Amino acid sequence: MTSAVGTTLRQSMAWIHGWLGLLAGWILFAMFLTGTASYFRPEITQWMQPEFRATPVSTAHAAQTAVTHLQRVGADDIQWYIYLPDARTAVTRIFEQRKPDPKAAKRRAPEIVLDPATGDVVRARETRGGEHFYRFHFQLQLPHPWGRWLAGLCAMFMLGAIVSGVITHKRIFADFFTLRWNKGQRSWLDAHNVSAVLALPYHAMITYTGLITLVAMYMPWPVVANYAKPADFAQAAFGTPTEREATGTPAPLVAIGPLVADAKRRFGASVATVVVRNPNDAASTVTLYRHSSASLNGRGPSVTYAGSDGRFLEGAADVGPALATAGVMLGLHVAQFASPALRWAYFVLGLTGAAMVGTGLLLWTAKRRKPGATPFFGLKLVERLNIGVIAGLPIGMAAYLLANRLIPADAANRADTEVATMFWVWGGVAVLQLLRPAPRAWTEGFAIGALTFAAIPVADTLTTSRGLPGSMLSGDTLFAAFDVAMLAVAALLALGAWRSSRSKPVAKIRKTLSETVHA
Amino acid sequence: MFMHGRILKAGPFPSGRRVRPLVWSMAFRSLTALVGGYAAAAVLATLIARLLPIARVEATSWGMILSFPIYAGIALWCFHEHRLLRVAAAVWGIATFGGGLLWLLGVRP
Repeated sequence: MTSAVGTTLRQSMAWIHGWLGLLAGWILFAMFLTGTASYFRPEITQWMQPEFRATPVSTAHAAQTAVTHLQRVGADDIQWYIYLPDARTAVTRIFEQRKPDPKAAKRRAPEIVLDPATGDVVRARETRGGEHFYRFHFQLQLPHPWGRWLAGLCAMFMLGAIVSGVITHKRIFADFFTLRWNKGQRSWLDAHNVSAVLALPYHAMITYTGLITLVAMYMPWPVVANYAKPADFAQAAFGTPTEREATGTPAPLVAIGPLVADAKRRFGASVATVVVRNPNDAASTVTLYRHSSASLNGRGPSVTYAGSDGRFLEGAADVGPALATAGVMLGLHVAQFASPALRWAYFVLGLTGAAMVGTGLLLWTAKRRKPGATPFFGLKLVERLNIGVIAGLPIGMAAYLLANRLIPADAANRADTEVATMFWVWGGVAVLQLLRPAPRAWTEGFAIGALTFAAIPVADTLTTSRGLPGSMLSGDTLFAAFDVAMLAVAALLALGAWRSSRSKPVAKIRKTLSETVHA
Repeated sequence: MFMHGRILKAGPFPSGRRVRPLVWSMAFRSLTALVGGYAAAAVLATLIARLLPIARVEATSWGMILSFPIYAGIALWCFHEHRLLRVAAAVWGIATFGGGLLWLLGVRP
């Protein structure tokens, strides 16, 4: 087998490119698709709680109502976390870190969602919203930490596949302009090249920066070599405020509004997060973090005030080039800085990523299918997995959104049921397609996907008062855009169904391939 | 055509005395790329972090940022270099000697 390796660089890189793509391809496809959806995480969450309409208020007001609520429920907590609403998030999210209570069984306080205007708990259907796609994107619905490790491994495969894929290409510029439709395997190669080459900077960026988002977990060794206490690195790098022990002397917490206003002035940008440590203690602190839409750098600075009298205690200093690089890489990945137009560009580029992985997987089967010959087991396996993931996952994602509208708003455990719906439907599709011949399974899979996505705006109109076309007429932009986007996805899948129904059995155009595909 | 093409295209994996050593050598090569490559990349990234004569927090960050391209480069090279012994010696050698050096250096004072 070693004879296979180590011929020319292009040959060895083409060989490893094929293996990397095949082994990680299905998970990468799912990561690309759910990650792409996550660019609209807050919007998806808003859409999934249609009964809640926020009255826009200032961040200072939202912070004050949240603190008032927390004073009522957890005045003696160790720490409060308050995630303030912004242009894209309608609610305030709060989280209490409670004092360990020997009587109560070890229970983590759940995250609470508040109405920013009143500070009351939001009464809306229970859902994970866009958070579910976001979490799946890097945790793959596996127990911690295995999901993150598997996602990291696949991202590493992707990075290797990008580097080896670029080396494999001798005509990277010409491939920009080359797409030959309806030529069987040749077309899949072209489609793979076009989707990969055209958006190559995006693919390389998103893969590398994705690894950086979890670098502290994947590559902690540089920290270990330089710091006796890893917390000191976090303190130096991210300006984590100094730990101040509670004194036990009570002291009322100052009004939070003026602190938010002061921090906003210092940042020159809005405040996203408030962390109150040891509230109502003489040594309490209030730390405010800048909103990440303010800069390309995803790690915004913070300022800390004394909670008892509101005096300024510390603020993060400017960081050096390496930390700025890491922060910008994080910012580029999560794209919080992006304006709506750029966000949609990210979304489309994310889809080209899914297309690149998908066409690469299809190319693998197209290249090995011989006309007239019985396909060998590996080929059948890869083909069925391709259908199960490429045609199946979109159906599952649509089912998750549909379940949000079809499960009664007050059903018990409905958030879990929504998530379960996605995986049962996806798994069901992946199994049931085995009953159909592969070419039919492709067409029918895409067609079912198109129908499920088209059903989403219909269900929205039938079960809520914010469906099409009313949302368009009343200027409910988010709901109108969401439903139109679902119809667009449905159209895209319908196109896929139509094209796959017309695809002819593998053509004879194989001659130049050994030279160009994974030579 | 390449070997994966030849073997997978042919269908059932060929068995027998002729192929088995090749399978083992490819398994070892893959393990060297995946695990050894990670260890070597971790060691090189940590050496950068430990030895770069700049602020500790900055050196640490450069090490972390550079670790992934280093890992990718090493792992891909494992499949390019024909001589398996050379691959194993380089990758595990960097991991062992670099790791030993880091152990001797200890945490940055």
